[in-house]
Amino acid sequence: MSEPGDYLQAFETPRLAQLAANLHTAAFPLMKLMPARYMVDRAEATGHLRRGGHIVETTSGTFGLAIAMLACALDYRLTLITASSLIDPRFKDRLERLGATTLVIDDPAGDGNQHGRLERLQEILDVRPDTFWPHQYDSPDNRLAYARLAEQVVRHCGHLDCLVGCIGTGGSLCGTGAFLREMFPGLRIIAVDTHRSILFGQPAGKRMLRGLGNSVLPANVRHEMIDEVHWVGALPAYATAQALFRDHGLFMGPTSGAAALVAGWFARTNPQAATMVIMPDEGHRYVETVYNDSWLSTLPGWPVAIPSAPTDLDRIRPAAETAWTRFSWNRRTLAAVLAQQQ
Amino acid sequence: MAKIGTPRLTDSRNGKGGEIHTSVARSLQTGVGRAIAHHGEFLQGVFEGEDGRLHRGLVTLPLVGCQAVATFWPREEGRIRTRPAKRSKAARAAAMTIEHLGLAGTGGDLTIDSAIPVGHGYGSSTADVVATIRAVAAAASTRLRQSTICRLAVAAEGASDAIAYGGDALLFAHREGRILEHFGGDFPPLFVVGFRTDDSGPIDTLRLPRARYNAEEIQLFRVMRGLAYRSIREQDPRMLGRVATMSASICQRHLPKPRFETVLDIAQEYGACGVQVAHSGTLVGILLDANQHAGGQSAVTMANALREVGFRNLETFALNAEGIVAT
Ligand SMILES: Cc1ncc(COP(=O)(O)O)c(C=O)c1O
Repeated sequence: MSEPGDYLQAFETPRLAQLAANLHTAAFPLMKLMPARYMVDRAEATGHLRRGGHIVETTSGTFGLAIAMLACALDYRLTLITASSLIDPRFKDRLERLGATTLVIDDPAGDGNQHGRLERLQEILDVRPDTFWPHQYDSPDNRLAYARLAEQVVRHCGHLDCLVGCIGTGGSLCGTGAFLREMFPGLRIIAVDTHRSILFGQPAGKRMLRGLGNSVLPANVRHEMIDEVHWVGALPAYATAQALFRDHGLFMGPTSGAAALVAGWFARTNPQAATMVIMPDEGHRYVETVYNDSWLSTLPGWPVAIPSAPTDLDRIRPAAETAWTRFSWNRRTLAAVLAQQQ
Repeated sequence: MAKIGTPRLTDSRNGKGGEIHTSVARSLQTGVGRAIAHHGEFLQGVFEGEDGRLHRGLVTLPLVGCQAVATFWPREEGRIRTRPAKRSKAARAAAMTIEHLGLAGTGGDLTIDSAIPVGHGYGSSTADVVATIRAVAAAASTRLRQSTICRLAVAAEGASDAIAYGGDALLFAHREGRILEHFGGDFPPLFVVGFRTDDSGPIDTLRLPRARYNAEEIQLFRVMRGLAYRSIREQDPRMLGRVATMSASICQRHLPKPRFETVLDIAQEYGACGVQVAHSGTLVGILLDANQHAGGQSAVTMANALREVGFRNLETFALNAEGIVAT
């Protein structure tokens, strides 16, 4: 990339740490910088984004922060569309401090109102057709960006048997997983989702764990790559994030907690399998919540005992925010799994 | 070889050149230089340099047993004559090396004696050029740095491969003649069963259109580069074999080798760790883990199987494997 935003390249590099004999993690300060920078680079190269141009995107947070940092460094104007259930005033202030315009859409159902956000985005594109929309949900560039992570993992760890990661847009897990499976064809890929996310066949509903899961289905979710799916509730995810900080000095966000919970269990039960878990962001954004005892004490079910293993499901169904469930997906399409569930 | 005098490494453009040249030409002696062939590449594609830009690059599979030898007889008269005649790239390389050494005005006879077949991806032309540069340097009783040899080779023929670095494992920008990454170790031990897929004749490498890679391939090259690095760190032939097979498969889109699927099937049947190709040639090599196939017996039986299905010009060689390959 051209010079001005180059300091962000170091920022997008994860810390590679070892959590157990057979378990490594790629712990990102802000994972979404990786796809954001790749997409902006490509848009510049293909002429979709010109000097001083305008970028618009719908986001629950971290992609918005990443693209706001880039837009600020590279002098682009940026409009971010989000929902009231997804953003707090501090985070909104942080984005606006970087020069971004934030549009907060009402979200009475608490499911992120992705449909409403996309409608609003389309209105902007209609009025200003030269606007660049990175389209992190459906653009293959979101997945391709993670070759950089796959390269780092390969250089650092060599052979890998299992990759564990969250799924929101699908970019990080399906992108990294596809590249790593090219290198290691036997690679097992485990997706971490949360209850009431529709990505793997649950009905939509109010989700407490934010950042992963979705109420619409992005094209970057490649179901046929996934060996097994875990749905982790908010409470065990929070508790595991805290444990990561205590036991490993890793101060990460709650989706990292969810992924670490699943990866820790897999590595324990498969001691021969070299396992890698992707952790998408740090804990700073969550100091008022996940790392705040008085906020946590208002949650029904808190404190929670972290389950030592998931509950296996035959039928895909939602569960409580204290629960952790698992389903053998076996690299099938969504349609194939849903047909079998009938 | 009698040493007559030490040449002064003077830039011929700095003025008072004439006298120096005369005295220097008299101080030259007969020089001999060698260079090895290669058997195509483990990996070829485009790769990010330290400048953040993409560069064409490759990882060469050295073929140490096959060499070009150049001999240079300096004369005070300014022409370079080659034997065989019309080795114009080698002649140009000789002239450029002379110029680089500050010996402008010197000429000579250049003989190239090469066992390397032309036009299949063995790097015969680069080997001629590198051997020539070394021969001219030897004639001046000096040795050039490898990086200088590469730079001169690219200037003489428009591209070069990494054979000036001998068997070193590195990612090399062949259009620029410089290293993108030194992998910092030897290649892992391999037996290679090599052959040509096409007897329709040699290919003019430098006339081939440059491959245009798509975004997905470019990103995949990044990860393949990482795995190549790791294979050398861990001395793991399987990882390097995987890289080679992927690179060969991508190459099928640009310069397809006939019956590539058959080759892949045979490789799998004999427990090979991968298949490599000459990305601008007709060569294919099946890679065997030399630790696992000690003695090279599998190499022999696999070579027979390849011969049976009609592949010709089979040769078996070792890379960093101790012991002898039966043939
Ligand atoms: C904190 C956090 N975790 C996990 C994810 C999921 O990553 P992906 O969108 O690559 O599937 C996201 C994506 O928005 C995120 O912000």
